[in-house]
Amino acid sequence: MINFNANTSSVFPKGTLDGIGKVKGTNTNPTSGFSDSVKAAEKYLSKVDDHQQSSDLSIKDLLSGKNEDIASTVSEVAKADMSFKLLVGVRNKLIEAYKQTMNMPL
Amino acid sequence: MKIDNAFGTIDIAISGLRAQRKNMKLISSNVANAQTTDTGNGEPYRRAEAIFKTDGNGLGGVSIDEITTDMSDFQKILKPGHPSADANGYVSMPNVHLPIEMMNLNVASRTYQANAAVLKRYQQMVETTLELLK
Repeated sequence: MINFNANTSSVFPKGTLDGIGKVKGTNTNPTSGFSDSVKAAEKYLSKVDDHQQSSDLSIKDLLSGKNEDIASTVSEVAKADMSFKLLVGVRNKLIEAYKQTMNMPL
Repeated sequence: MKIDNAFGTIDIAISGLRAQRKNMKLISSNVANAQTTDTGNGEPYRRAEAIFKTDGNGLGGVSIDEITTDMSDFQKILKPGHPSADANGYVSMPNVHLPIEMMNLNVASRTYQANAAVLKRYQQMVETTLELLK
């Protein structure tokens, strides 16, 4: 998803930036680029949504008496919470990177 | 078996909570039936015990494999006139010993707490990792 190698930054890959994410130049790595990071975050967003929905469903089942296993509800909620926090962290980082790029004096 | 899933630890801790809850159910049944002389089959209540088993081979969660009945001897007390008394006036009482059940109760509740503590600590660990993003 995000390349942590300092030499091949995923936000500013080698080559010239032609609009956000469109990279011209000698970069052969197809997974780098800001738009790809955003797309990866978007894919992760749907996963987080799945977790949130299953946790909502399990809370509803618990409260309606359909499911009496409180441990499974706790597990679903913990997973949804963890993945949501990761998503928020990545989203904040992406927006910060975008703002830094836009505010760069040219 | 390897744990590469970030949620593996959560599932294992939850399985520990679930297993100890079932264990607690057995202990409460044992305590409640400590004086039960008739279970319908002519015998007094036999103490139930949980056998724990790892899910999968190697690392993994825990589950209750089977529930065995304690086959140790019944205690006999003199109670002539009791409906379940034998020819000599002795009544077979369940093989439940309350001090042992109290001990098992402590073990079960402490194990439950320990699993909850693992879950909480793991969540804190993940949050510490996410702090590095900021």
